[in-house]
Amino acid sequence: MKSVLFNSLVACTALVAVSESAAAQDYGSFPGVTIDAKLIGGQQYEALYGRIADWEALTGAKVNILSKKSHFEIDREIKSDMAAGTTDWCVGSNHSSFAPQYEGLYTDLNALVSPDIVAEFVPGNIGAATVGGELLMLPRAQFDVSVLYYLKSNYTDPEKAAEFKAEYGYDLAVPETWEQVKDQAIFFADPPNFYGTQYAGKDEGVVGRFYEMLIAEGGQYLNDDYSPAFNSEEGVRALQWFVDLYQANAVPAGTTSYVWDDLGQGFASGTIALNLDWPGWAGFFNDPESSKAAGNVGVAVQPMGSAKRTGWAGLHGFSVTNDCANKEAAASFVMYLTSEESQLAESSGGSLPTRTAVWNANLETAANGDDAFRAEALAAFAEGAKHSFAVPPIPEWGETTNIVFPELQAAIVGDKTAQQALDDAAAEVDELMQDAGYY
Amino acid sequence: MRRRIPEWFVLLMPAFIVIAAVVLIPLIFSLYSSFTPYKLTRPSTLWTWIGERNYERILTDWKFWAAFGRTILFLTIALNLELIFGLGIALMVNKVTWGQRTLRTVLMFPMMFSPILVGFQFKFIFNDNVGLVNNVLQSLGSDAALPWLVDGKLAMFSILFAEIWMSTSVFAILILAGLFAMPRDPLEAAKVDGCTPWQSFRHITLPFLMPFIYIAMTIRSLDVARAYDIVQIMTGGGPARRTELLWTLMSRTGYVDAKMGLANAMGYVSILLSIAFTIYFFRKLSAARAELGMGA
Repeated sequence: MKSVLFNSLVACTALVAVSESAAAQDYGSFPGVTIDAKLIGGQQYEALYGRIADWEALTGAKVNILSKKSHFEIDREIKSDMAAGTTDWCVGSNHSSFAPQYEGLYTDLNALVSPDIVAEFVPGNIGAATVGGELLMLPRAQFDVSVLYYLKSNYTDPEKAAEFKAEYGYDLAVPETWEQVKDQAIFFADPPNFYGTQYAGKDEGVVGRFYEMLIAEGGQYLNDDYSPAFNSEEGVRALQWFVDLYQANAVPAGTTSYVWDDLGQGFASGTIALNLDWPGWAGFFNDPESSKAAGNVGVAVQPMGSAKRTGWAGLHGFSVTNDCANKEAAASFVMYLTSEESQLAESSGGSLPTRTAVWNANLETAANGDDAFRAEALAAFAEGAKHSFAVPPIPEWGETTNIVFPELQAAIVGDKTAQQALDDAAAEVDELMQDAGYY
Repeated sequence: MRRRIPEWFVLLMPAFIVIAAVVLIPLIFSLYSSFTPYKLTRPSTLWTWIGERNYERILTDWKFWAAFGRTILFLTIALNLELIFGLGIALMVNKVTWGQRTLRTVLMFPMMFSPILVGFQFKFIFNDNVGLVNNVLQSLGSDAALPWLVDGKLAMFSILFAEIWMSTSVFAILILAGLFAMPRDPLEAAKVDGCTPWQSFRHITLPFLMPFIYIAMTIRSLDVARAYDIVQIMTGGGPARRTELLWTLMSRTGYVDAKMGLANAMGYVSILLSIAFTIYFFRKLSAARAELGMGA
C-alpha cells in the first residue's frame, strides 16, 4: 500500500511538473468543431479518455465517441465502414499490426504534426507507425513487447538446483537462452498440477511467438520480395521448440487454445514456472488480490535464440482519417492524447510509453521509489524494448497468420512434422502473396 | 382506357417491398459479389468480375470440403442424439402425473441461454487445466489432464455435448406436443389385443410421432448447419482445423481476412447443404403424414 501511495505521489509530482511545461504547447482553437472518434475500449485504456474533457476545454471543440470496442471488434467495424464508404469520422484507435490493412483510410500525419513533436517519440516506435513512408498514427503509451516472468522460488531451492545440475550439467539460474527455457520447463513440469511454461496457441498469438522465435534463430518470416521464408532450417528449429515442449507435457495440453487472457490467468494461478508475457500483466501478477504468484514473481529480459534476442512488438496509436472534415482539429486531439503528460498519466498505470522523455522519467521514478518489483519490471522492459521489432508492414500480415496458425498447431499436436507443416503453410502464403501482386 | 392496378397487388405491395429490401436485394447482391474478388478493405474490388473463379477455388480447396464433411458429420450425430434423448425425455415426462408443468418449464431452461454463454460455460467446464470435468476426474484419483478442447475427437465430443445440452429440449417439447395430441383409442385397442409395450410404441406411438419428429429435424438441421457461436467460443475451429465447421471458416474468410466475395461463394455452396436436408426432411414429413392418412 505504502509503495502504491508513494508511486502515485511521485507520478502526480511528475505530472504537475510536465503539465506546466506542456501548458506551453498550443493545441489550437476549434470552437464548434465536433470530432467523431472510434476508440479502443477496456479498463486499461480508459484512464486516458478521462483527459478528453481537458482537450475540449483547451480548444473549444467537442469529442463524440462513436464506439469503444476491443481492437478486433474495431477492426471489423472499420472494415465494414470502408466497404460502406462511411469513413467521415475523424479519429480512430490503431495498432501497428492492423495499420497496413486500411489502405487509403488514414492520412499521413507528417503533414499535420511538426517534425519536432515526431522527434520526441522513440524512433523505433515511429518506424512501426510508418507504412510506406506515411506516418499513419501517433503512438500512445501502450507499447507492447514481452519479457520473461518467472517464479522466484524455483531458483532458491538448493535441492532442486543440485538435481537440475546433475541432469543438465549446468547451474540452475534464470534462463538466458530459449534452449535453457526448454530444459527448465521440462525439469519443473509436474503435470497436471504444475507446468514449466505456456504459450499462446492460436490466432495471431502463436504466429507472433513463432515469428520472434524464428528471428531469434536467425531466420526470416518473409523474403525481401514478400515471398514466404519461414519454412527454412531456422523455422523448423523455432517450431520444434514449441513441439518439444508440448510433447514433453511441459505446457498445459490446452495451450493450443490459449490466448492472452488464458495465459495471464494461468501464470497468476501460480502453476506456471516461466512465462513470456506483456507489460500490462506486471501489476496483476504481483497483486495478492489477483495472483497466487504475488511476491514470488521475477522479471527478466527475454531469453535469446541461437542467433540473437528478439521481441515481437506492437503499439497502439491514434490515426486521423482522410475523409475527416477538420483534420487540424483531429490532429490536435491525437497530439493531446499522445502528449508527454498524457503518456505520463497512462504509463503510471504500468503500460509502456513511446516517448523518450517519459521512458526516462518512469525509469528514474522507479529507481528512486521503494517498489523493487516495479523497478525490476521496468528495467527488464526497457532492456527488452531494445530488441523489439514490429510485424512486416503489409496488409497481408493478418491473412498470413490465419494461414500459418493452423499449420503450427498441426505440428504442435503431432498431426504433421515441423517441416511438413511449415512447407504447407508456405505454399499457401506463396499463393496469397502472388494473388496480392507482390511477384 | 387506363388499366387499374389490381387491388390485391396494391395490398400486397408493402410486403413485396419489405421482402425485396431485406431478403431479395441482399441475396442478389451477395450472389453477385461471389463472382468478384470483393475485399472489404478495398471497396473498388466489388466491380471486378472474375466469373466463377471463387467457386473453382472452393471446389478444389480440401479445407473447405473437410469443413463441409465435418459439418455433415456434426449435423448427423447432433440430430440423431438429440432425437434419441428428446424422445426419451418426452416419453418419460408424458408418464409424470404430478408436477408435469414445472418439469416442462425446467426442460426448457437450456434453450433460454444465449449460445455464446453456453459456449463459455462449456469452455470452462472442459478446460484441461482449471475445468470442472478434469477436476472431478482428478479428485476421483485420475492424474490425467484430458485435453478436451484440443484432441480432435474429444473436442468434437465437447462441442456436440454443448450443442446437445442446449437443444435437446427442442425435440423433447415438440415430441411431447405430439404425445399430447395422440388419440388414446389405438393404444387401448392394442393393449386389448395383447400387444407388448414395445409393439405399441413401435407400431402406434412412433408412426404417430414421426411428423413431429421431422418438423423438429427440419428446424434443427437448419440450426445446426449454421452452428457458429458455440464452436467459435469453445475452440474457434481449432486446433489445427480439427473442429472447423463451415461457418467458422466462412466468418474467418469474410470478416478477418476481409475476402467477402470468396466467403459469399462459400455461403452459396454450403446453402446447398441446408436445402438438401430441408428437402429430405420435408419429403419424409409428407410420407409420414400420408401414412397416417393426413394427406401429403
